[in-house]
Amino acid sequence: MATRPDETHDSRDAAVVVAGSLLADSSARRWEIFAKQSITRQTELVRGKLDRTLEVAECGVGVRTFDGLRAGFASASGFGRPAVERTVRAALAGAVEADDPMPPARLIGSVNVAPGPNMPARGWAQHIGNELELALASLSDGRIGLERLIIQEGRYCWVLATGEGCVIDHQRVAASILVEIRVGERSGLWREWLHVADPETFDPAAAAARVGNRALLTEHDITSDHGLHDLILHPEVSAHLFAGIAPLFLARDEATDPLPRLLDPQGLLAAYAVTVVDDRADASAPVVGPCDGEGLPARRTLLLDEGAPRHRVASFADARRFDETPRGGAVRLSYRDCPTSGFANLMIVTDDGSPATELLAASRRALYLLRPVGPVVCDLEADRYSIIASGVWLKQQRVCGWHPVVELSGGLGAMLRRIEAVGTDLGWYQTAVGFVGAPSLLIRRQPVVG
Amino acid sequence: MRGNHPRFEDLFLERRLEIRVAEGEATASCRVDGAAVRWRFGSRSVMHAAAGVSDRVIEGLLSRYSYRPSVPAVSGRDGAGLEPPEGWTAWARGVAAGFPGRSATIRYLQRQAVVIRREGWQPVNAPGLVRIEHDPRRGRALLAVWRRPELGDWIRRLIEPPPRRTWSPPPGLKGPIVLTDGTAGPLLHELVGHLAEGDLVAAGRSPLIGLGGAALTEAAIDVIDDPGRFDLPGAFDADDEGVTAQPIPLLRSGRLCGLLCDRETARLCETRPGRGRRADWRSPPVPRLSNLVVTGGNHTADDLVSGVDAGLVVTRLAGASVDPVSSRAVLRVERGFEIRKGRRRRPLSRCELTGGVTEILAGIDPAVGNDPTTDWRLGWCVKDGMPLATGSEAPTLIVRNLEVL
Repeated sequence: MATRPDETHDSRDAAVVVAGSLLADSSARRWEIFAKQSITRQTELVRGKLDRTLEVAECGVGVRTFDGLRAGFASASGFGRPAVERTVRAALAGAVEADDPMPPARLIGSVNVAPGPNMPARGWAQHIGNELELALASLSDGRIGLERLIIQEGRYCWVLATGEGCVIDHQRVAASILVEIRVGERSGLWREWLHVADPETFDPAAAAARVGNRALLTEHDITSDHGLHDLILHPEVSAHLFAGIAPLFLARDEATDPLPRLLDPQGLLAAYAVTVVDDRADASAPVVGPCDGEGLPARRTLLLDEGAPRHRVASFADARRFDETPRGGAVRLSYRDCPTSGFANLMIVTDDGSPATELLAASRRALYLLRPVGPVVCDLEADRYSIIASGVWLKQQRVCGWHPVVELSGGLGAMLRRIEAVGTDLGWYQTAVGFVGAPSLLIRRQPVVG
Repeated sequence: MRGNHPRFEDLFLERRLEIRVAEGEATASCRVDGAAVRWRFGSRSVMHAAAGVSDRVIEGLLSRYSYRPSVPAVSGRDGAGLEPPEGWTAWARGVAAGFPGRSATIRYLQRQAVVIRREGWQPVNAPGLVRIEHDPRRGRALLAVWRRPELGDWIRRLIEPPPRRTWSPPPGLKGPIVLTDGTAGPLLHELVGHLAEGDLVAAGRSPLIGLGGAALTEAAIDVIDDPGRFDLPGAFDADDEGVTAQPIPLLRSGRLCGLLCDRETARLCETRPGRGRRADWRSPPVPRLSNLVVTGGNHTADDLVSGVDAGLVVTRLAGASVDPVSSRAVLRVERGFEIRKGRRRRPLSRCELTGGVTEILAGIDPAVGNDPTTDWRLGWCVKDGMPLATGSEAPTLIVRNLEVL
């Protein structure tokens, strides 16, 4: 039968036992076994009609070893004995001379995470699709056309076991919705990804407002403008901008580190309004777990404290290599991947933020960037950024025109230090560096040619 | 459909091997096997997939409904699985050691698949690939078919540090841009390849809709999507829906003449299938291009540069993208030069070039280089979050409607 997490819990644990006994009889002095199984269900509705359903069951094992001199890693799909044996053999055979990459047992542990919601009942996806369609129609008097909805529901569980006897077991449910809408013919297709922290409390009306409100602004006439404007970045644009500077928050070699060159004389990378964290302990964020990718307890790591760089994210091996304190900065995307330094939930803190409506009202002449239409590029070495986005012009708090493609570029550090305020409208987005949670941002006096 | 039974479409079995080598790190090997069955309920499609290719997994997938289809037996499925070529790991260790500062990750990627339909089964073979990521923050990478003779030269060029003193072209600069050393391939991959994909066309989202038969460019180039080119990374002998690979011309003498479709969009667009490609067994096939091959003209690259009074020549790209919504393309330039009075002058800083899709195509100069060159930099193409290996080979082209961002 096809693999299902509830049915194969035993197979998962049996795979860990088999791997453990093979490793105990091997040359490995230390080892770590990561076994994961997941089931994901994806429902796709096109113009309200059920178009496609995907159901994927996956399981596999990843093994890290260290024999006192050499470190190895291998992974394979399946929980059967042949797959486990092959994985252990490959990890030992592929080992190369290296420091022990695994954290010592004394650092391994876990924190309590709030119990996750249950997997939504079958039919939830179609129900939510219908509700969202109604909510969008009511928001816009029918001016928004719902083109496509992709609803993903997933349930996964994993176990991390080490040769020293540490065992961390975790299971979780995750859900998200990709919405594609169209407003008239001019502004094309609008795509929004929604993280659903709890399917039971998902509010279709709030989701429809988030998806639809900015798209409706493009109904204004197309106009252009230039000169010094305040910039207001929609959370999606902010998220991609901060994904662009995220490499600055990873531990790295001093010789090639661009961060010092981006700081102002006061040691600030960004304005006081900006505090950035990698939050692995927030139960409402997209990536939730009791520990990082190699077993260090989940925590919130302060990366940028009121504009000033504080800590950096690193796996245990990178923390040792770059002389950082290990803070649990490893990510392990699946059983296939060896843990590496990375972000789980990179987030701009909004505790002292203002509602987005106040940001919009705080400017007499502004360009409100609604969404990126090309890659947001941050050249950290050259201290430059470029954003290609679609936006609307605001004068005296009123929208006075839409600009389908506006191109902005300039000094990156200077722009980050002109962020005057952050909003409270935090949204999660998938980016090249993982999940980024960002609010609207108000940036004062940027030169604009539109 | 028979009664209320779902219609069985295909069973897909796949084995993937990835070996990863980085300086100072363990050699990481990852083997992933999986199977997927697709069904159709009227206009709705359903796919069930599971890890493994054992009889038990396949039986579980085929027995999801009361109606269990009979499928042909496949021989050779119980083989030992994929293995890396002999000596690859030692070769990769040597290459990794040649990069400064432990900055490179070298991967060997191999896949084998079988598509089983009622009428029979079709093996899917693809070449083993080498992917090297060097300084991934700046997007420096290489993708090539393993054992391609030029691989050593491409690696040397990837390691080469950028020039120290560079010139930033001013934003808004709009002059003739000479795309040489294969860099025209990624541009046409975006402008013609992606926008001729059946899903965009069937959904009414491609700016090329309605332009069938029309001359998109004055340049009399042929642009062909050719999965049979096994020296390029996007090669396969059958697509992931079991359709035998055939070249599909997209432009003939600059005129739009073809689309890239999977079985479903081929039916909607009334054309032939053959480009249903899966990111892996967990993903359904979608229309994707393979290797975009552009025919050469009569001019040497040097002649084309010398005919430009003031402009830019691009010798290497760091990335390219197209947004079907805004109908704009962006090229991220990694290396190049300013051209003044027909000669290469100052080396370029990294910069972006942008323009509208149809305007860029209309602005391609009729003079075409006689130097079709493989692009080794890009090729790892991501669409809707799904990465696939693709390839391109193109001669030097002059484009007039690109603007510095």
